[in-house]
Amino acid sequence: MSEPLAHSPIRPPEPVVMSGWEVSGRRAAGQLTLTDCTPLTKVLLRADVAGPAASEVGVPFGRARRNADGVLVVGSGPGEWLLLGPPGQARQIRASLDEVTGEPEPVSVTDLTHGRALIRLTGERAADVLSAVCGVDLSDAVTPDGAAFRTAVAALATDVVRDDVAGVRSYLLHCERSSGQYLFDALTSAGRDLGIEIDGFQAQGF
Amino acid sequence: MSEQPGGAMRLPQQPGEVIDRTTTIDFSWNGRPFTGFAGDTIASALAAAGERVFSRSLKYHRPRGVLTASYHDPGCIVQVGDEPNVRGAHRMVSAGAAVTSQNTWPSLRLDLKAVNQYAAPVLTAGFYYKTFMRPRFAWPLYEAVLRRFVNGGRVSPDTPPSRQAKRYAHPDVLVAGGGPAGMAAALAAARAGASVLLVEEELHLGGHLRWGDEADLAALANLAAQVAAEPRIEVLTDAVVLGRYDGNWIAVLERRGALGGAEAERLVKARAKTLVVAPGLIERPYVFAGNDLPGVMLSTAVRRLINLYAVKPGERAVVLSANPEGDAAVADLKRAGVQVLRVEDARLGGDIVAAAGRACLRSVTVADGSQISCDLLVIAAGWTAPTSLLNMAGAVPAYSPRAARFVPDIAGLPPEVLVTGGLAGDGSLDELTGHASAAGAEAARRAKHIGRAWRRAMPGSRADAVRSEGGADTTDPSDDAQAVLPDLPVDSHPELFVGRTNGFVDFSEDVTAKDLRAAVAEGFDSAELAKRFTTATMGPLQGKLESVNAAAVVADAIGTSIAESGTTTWRPPYVPVSLGALAGPAFEPVRYSPMQPWHEAHGAVPLQAGAWIRPDHYGDPAAEARNVRERVGLIDVTPIGKLDLRGPDVARLLNLVYVNKWSKLEIGRVRYGVMCAEDGVVLDDGVTGRLGEDHYLMSTTSSGAGAIWEWVENWLQTERPDWVVHVTPVTTAYASMNVAGPHTRTLMERVTEGVDLSNDAFPYMHVRTGRIAGVDECVLWRIGFTGELSYELHVPASYGLHVWETLLDVGADLGAAAFGVEAQRILRLEKGHFIVGQDTDGLTRGFSAALDWAIKLDKDDFAGKPELVWQHEDSSGPRLVGLQPADGSVVPAEASLIMVGDHIAGRVTSSRMSPTLGRSVCLAQVEARLAEPGTEVTVRLPTGRLITALVTPHLAHVDPDGGRMRV
Repeated sequence: MSEPLAHSPIRPPEPVVMSGWEVSGRRAAGQLTLTDCTPLTKVLLRADVAGPAASEVGVPFGRARRNADGVLVVGSGPGEWLLLGPPGQARQIRASLDEVTGEPEPVSVTDLTHGRALIRLTGERAADVLSAVCGVDLSDAVTPDGAAFRTAVAALATDVVRDDVAGVRSYLLHCERSSGQYLFDALTSAGRDLGIEIDGFQAQGF
Repeated sequence: MSEQPGGAMRLPQQPGEVIDRTTTIDFSWNGRPFTGFAGDTIASALAAAGERVFSRSLKYHRPRGVLTASYHDPGCIVQVGDEPNVRGAHRMVSAGAAVTSQNTWPSLRLDLKAVNQYAAPVLTAGFYYKTFMRPRFAWPLYEAVLRRFVNGGRVSPDTPPSRQAKRYAHPDVLVAGGGPAGMAAALAAARAGASVLLVEEELHLGGHLRWGDEADLAALANLAAQVAAEPRIEVLTDAVVLGRYDGNWIAVLERRGALGGAEAERLVKARAKTLVVAPGLIERPYVFAGNDLPGVMLSTAVRRLINLYAVKPGERAVVLSANPEGDAAVADLKRAGVQVLRVEDARLGGDIVAAAGRACLRSVTVADGSQISCDLLVIAAGWTAPTSLLNMAGAVPAYSPRAARFVPDIAGLPPEVLVTGGLAGDGSLDELTGHASAAGAEAARRAKHIGRAWRRAMPGSRADAVRSEGGADTTDPSDDAQAVLPDLPVDSHPELFVGRTNGFVDFSEDVTAKDLRAAVAEGFDSAELAKRFTTATMGPLQGKLESVNAAAVVADAIGTSIAESGTTTWRPPYVPVSLGALAGPAFEPVRYSPMQPWHEAHGAVPLQAGAWIRPDHYGDPAAEARNVRERVGLIDVTPIGKLDLRGPDVARLLNLVYVNKWSKLEIGRVRYGVMCAEDGVVLDDGVTGRLGEDHYLMSTTSSGAGAIWEWVENWLQTERPDWVVHVTPVTTAYASMNVAGPHTRTLMERVTEGVDLSNDAFPYMHVRTGRIAGVDECVLWRIGFTGELSYELHVPASYGLHVWETLLDVGADLGAAAFGVEAQRILRLEKGHFIVGQDTDGLTRGFSAALDWAIKLDKDDFAGKPELVWQHEDSSGPRLVGLQPADGSVVPAEASLIMVGDHIAGRVTSSRMSPTLGRSVCLAQVEARLAEPGTEVTVRLPTGRLITALVTPHLAHVDPDGGRMRV
């Protein structure tokens, strides 16, 4: 029996193995890039929308912030937070949430690392790519750095987080896993005329 | 053609010309070679070479030439290569283009279809309501003949499809029209801080300034430079606003000229906070005999040809002028060396009576009766106000007899729509741009106000959550005062619509004034009725050149005024748009399981199940089924819906949505459940297991995964908001596979750690978690859809492919092989397991699905209970039964009817040849009186043949006691 190898739903060009995942070894030359970030740890926290757990987490619905551990906490829905961290950190992130209590309301923590396909779109013209497939207003006034919203991208229910990298506009997009290849293809197609390139996963920013 | 560079009719350099004389472009026109300059349109290049006839009209096939020299020119519609209906006076020449006239036979010059002109008395408007109808059997012949005369160009079926993208935009201000007013409004709005999308129909900004005098050209250069320098303005040229919908949802069509690459048209869907409408005015023709002859042009056509393309429009001209633009055309003609033989000033009683010629204009008869021979007649009779966007915004314009055109009803506009430029009124260039600047600034102010209101309504928009760029989002009370824009003066203009003789009103549809009068005489006595009967204004121009003239004819025929009889309604799209642009790219989400690469590599025949692609079989489904019964098989069932349920109230939820009882399900146990909707109809079924104190995993059917998630959330959020249950869909967080067959335990023991797989430790209908093939946190439950010893494994999805491949590899000596959806269908049918939606339908209530054992009517209220109580009391409903045809070699088609005499008493719902039994097996819905085991029923096959079948004692045809699953 071979060692378990984790696969993303998005087939990687020039595959290599990193952190127990099959990822792409490609490195983009330009600055408009698409990266499959599915290996990132993703943990879902559910608690009362306005209870003690919500105050402790401290990230309101519609916003995303990094906490002291460098984990990106996303207020993805009312009473729902998605925590994103480097690969293989599910146990640690779940342990950190054990301390979060919602007494008397229950708190539940679910590992969705394998349940979501996650893609990062980065570049000065990232909004031009996204605006071909997404009807939400991407201006700074409406969806600034740190905004989180759930919408339809290429007719697929998708969560979007604006998470600029070193001042460059960047979006994290995630959908339920089985549609991951479709979402990736839709973004690649939307960015083709702008010269979008696939960049392999390197856990950037986490 | 002549030797002169640029063509026989090419003029020397003009100050405002858009052609690049250093670059020549070769193309062909009806097979003959021509040369134009870069920047020429097809029509201007051909006109420069002396061509005058570009098309034949729709019905009568009359020769037509340049009329407006703009996008809207009805005489210049041509075919370019494989692309039909190209606007020849707008599309630029391209190297190697094969341009042809449309629907002319055998040629443009000698078009035998012009025979229609002689049939004119029979081909009046609406002729197709009265002719070509009888005898009815001759219709195929009429159709074949009429088809030859339809004028719409050709599209080859071999044309490769183009990939047409869409784009969403959210400008603060969208300015429709890039003339001086549009540019001034855009600048003012941008300088007030708004993001602006400036949309211009032509290839360049500037509107009428482009073919104006020196002062106009200087003003144009100044405005254009300012626009280019303003970063907040995005300019779209060769783009047109198709329509304005509720809430300023605006469709903009970008045409080919603006885009490089393979894309043709692109639709931009814009949600603009405010819309500034500045389309200017469109010059319209005058109605008189011969007004459609090549050589009869509007004054703007002449000015465009001379000033933009340096083309001399003719040699000897007569001019009808009713306005300053007509006068300016006279000056341009003289400057271009055209002999201006007569200027009829309509303001002083001048008029054109008729124009005459065969293929082209030869002479004109003027007001005083003199006949002047000429080759060019220039008409400046007045304007159409293109108010369509305003109409779409709900403000119906009113006709002003003084101005001889429609003027907008500003008061009727919603606050998010403003008007400026020639559409709003007249005045000097400074007055117009001054008004436009005020409109632009006001549009920006209103946009800021609207934007603030939208953001306040957004969830999570507390002051610290969302900040606009460069400062806090404060409310400035002075911003709330809505400015009132000054009115522009509206100049008087003679009413010049229909002359003394009968002429064309709608050039595209070949509708004459006589046709309209005849329509009114026949009883179609309003603008809308006359339009529908004659098709006037229903052509590609959609009324831009013809609606006012048509209204004038109809009003006159009725005996009222234009203001009273009205015009037709402007509806989107403003211009014709290709279906490809509207459709855009095909967004059809596709879903794949993690094991898809293995399925593809092993020859799986794909089955499309909703958005999922599943393996139907791998070549021999019967063999796959046999392998499961005899050895061990593996099926990918990832699409099965899975819901992670956590919280103290899960058991209450299960009792509510399922028909059976869930309060006493121990940790580690699994139960099969059926859900019914409120009408008692079977909604879904699945298996739910208890993984912990407050932690359950529910499975649903594949096709019901999304619907059941919504069903459960609906109950929790709206009906039982006090219950605490966290529902997380994990359908695709797990790769699910069913391992089934007598050798299953042997195989699983080789790969599983942390779980005692013996039958005593892990009995049927229980659940465990453990490590499989080195992967932690896998869920295993023992259930039996196929009727064999089986485990359903739910593996963290990223490891699904690894576990699948490991199982097949490790189990090779046991005969482990994949089986697909078809084999599973066979196996479950052999076991009599029904499929919701296959063996039940939208009317099948619980007791008609053989679920008597499951429905616990002694429970407190549950979804569907009242209906099920009634159904139970009335036992006459249909029943689900097993059926075996007497002749086991006959496999009845699914949905074959079950007959009692002529009466339909049921249908076969599932039917397969059973490889295990070597005979056909079925499930069927039958009337209660036929449901007794042993009853003989008659099945009517689709061929009409009747066969007999017997109702079986159990639904299961194989192993009805279920012993094979419990080992």
